[in-house]
Amino acid sequence: MRVGIPRALLYYRYGPFWERFLAGLGVEPVVTRRTDKELLQLGLQHVSSEVCLPIKIIAGHIADLKGRVDAVFLPRMVWLEDELYACPKMIGIVDIARMMLGDGTRLIAPSIKRNFLWPHFRAGVEMCGSPLRAARSLARARSLLAGPPVALRLEPGEKRIALIGHFYNIEDDYIGQPIISAFRKQGYRLVTKDELPESVLRGRQGFAKSIRWVFERELYNAFRFLVGSVDGVCVLVSMGCGPDSLIAEFMKEEAGRRGVPFLQLVLDEHTGTAGLVTRIEAFLELSQRRQQLTRAA
Amino acid sequence: MKATFPLLGYDTYALKTFVEDLGGEVVLPPATSKKTLEAGVEASPELICMPFKITLGNFLEALDMGADTVFMAAGARKCRFGYYHYLQERALARSGRPFRLIPVSQYSPYAFLFRLMPVTFGVSPTRVIRSVAVMFYKAGLTHEFRALLNRRRALDFAGTERLKPRALELLEAARSTSEIRAARRSLRRLLGCNGSRPVLRVGLVGEIFFMIEQFANGDIEKELARLGVEVVFERSLLHHLRHLLHLDWSFYRSRRLARRYLRECPGGEALRTVGEAIHFVEHDRVDGIVHVYPFTCMPENIALEALQQLTEDTGVPVLSLSFDEHTSRTGLQTRLEAYVDMLRRRSRERSISRD
Repeated sequence: MRVGIPRALLYYRYGPFWERFLAGLGVEPVVTRRTDKELLQLGLQHVSSEVCLPIKIIAGHIADLKGRVDAVFLPRMVWLEDELYACPKMIGIVDIARMMLGDGTRLIAPSIKRNFLWPHFRAGVEMCGSPLRAARSLARARSLLAGPPVALRLEPGEKRIALIGHFYNIEDDYIGQPIISAFRKQGYRLVTKDELPESVLRGRQGFAKSIRWVFERELYNAFRFLVGSVDGVCVLVSMGCGPDSLIAEFMKEEAGRRGVPFLQLVLDEHTGTAGLVTRIEAFLELSQRRQQLTRAA
Repeated sequence: MKATFPLLGYDTYALKTFVEDLGGEVVLPPATSKKTLEAGVEASPELICMPFKITLGNFLEALDMGADTVFMAAGARKCRFGYYHYLQERALARSGRPFRLIPVSQYSPYAFLFRLMPVTFGVSPTRVIRSVAVMFYKAGLTHEFRALLNRRRALDFAGTERLKPRALELLEAARSTSEIRAARRSLRRLLGCNGSRPVLRVGLVGEIFFMIEQFANGDIEKELARLGVEVVFERSLLHHLRHLLHLDWSFYRSRRLARRYLRECPGGEALRTVGEAIHFVEHDRVDGIVHVYPFTCMPENIALEALQQLTEDTGVPVLSLSFDEHTSRTGLQTRLEAYVDMLRRRSRERSISRD
């Protein structure tokens, strides 16, 4: 059996785990190629124009899998411990996927509600038919969930920018890479939330406690942790992203209060790379000048 | 205390009765207008959804009129709505007027009845429960008023518009259960239409604020009635209040029906939107579904895909309208006219093929 995994959204966090898990079940995992313009165009045909860019992209990946595989593996994250929810579109995309795939392709979509491994185990049984094999495969793949140990090391004297954005935007070739390379070209080091330990990201201090979206709370905590030790903050928001439209507002206010340069980049499928690069260069120049001024004073 | 809260179309009267019954003084902002929206847009983040901007505009206008206490629904889950009050409080504070914002969590009815309301108004919980009962009654009255108005307007537009001020007076004046009962009888007499029914009926589904607030939805019920179409709806403040107390049976029906397309609740009211649409199509045999929601609304955009699938499965046309501050009344009218023309042609073709 060939089981497709769209390389979008949650894949960027759980991808290696899923691949090893499926391989251990004896099915062949088929991961879609990296996002390109063609996949995005494909996605635009399948979802409403108002949804955010990552949803359009995953719709493209799903449409690309249709007909090529026997089943599509697309776990649905509903909520995690501490009643932290995923965003409505991330929950709903699974149902949209079911409607897109129709009857021809099976959709395997375990719903993650607090417990992460149990739904995967059930999905594994559904795919290979053997509870023993599913459990063994899950136990083997489990080590990939934790990821490499993280340690934030800040070199003195380097120029740093905190890039605050969802992992599925930053790691996507089509959305995040042009932005990252624009910063790197100017000699800046980018700090993302990937370099922060879980204990910081899941913290419940202050306003973070009121945020009930799991990824949004991580972003806000990362922002709070980094804002004092960087030369500027760049927030990556996709047009139509509901949670970001709120939380970015809080970040903007706090950055303004602390006098940290703040850049909010709003992305949609019409965003040109050239325009983004110009904005980033202008932002970096301004923040440099500001630093020189404060040093002189 | 001079209390204010967001305007909710005709259901504003129910909320007003509730606060007055508890002994508070209500300062209502003027009916939502372009000016309200502009004030709200100016004080709002750019990418936020429409209800935020409109309700913020309402609050700003009410504070100008001397209100000092703002009630806003809260309760954060998957939808953005639960987070509104954090940002609105900051935006109102920037306006420099003294005020107090009281977030009313939607998901804790017990705290509402036994702690929040008794403390805020200095009354006993029994009194609060009695006032909630009156609010339920009144919300039932406004719900019935809207249903009567929609049917009557579709049959006789000009005549009903003349009767409307009188009906609104009746609606506003009823304050106790016995008065509400009397008002219900008079309204039925005033707006009843002796069993005759309009030819075309459409079901209205979508986000609740946009279903019940006339400014927000471009008075879509009136525009459709002008074209001779009755608007059937299910959701109003009445059903929302029932739902918050877990007493709304129609919600459970909607959730069951919606499972056909959505297996898991994406938050907000997506399940109700889809479930009601299926119910209207299969049970009430409506000619079409009109779906209203604010631009970039997260749950309703998921519901939109399900409704498109519903059209494919049943053939009943769905008109999805998303509203933002740039939506024009004229553009809306043109779309509705084209839609109603299509419905009329379809129903004629159907009756010919039946004969």
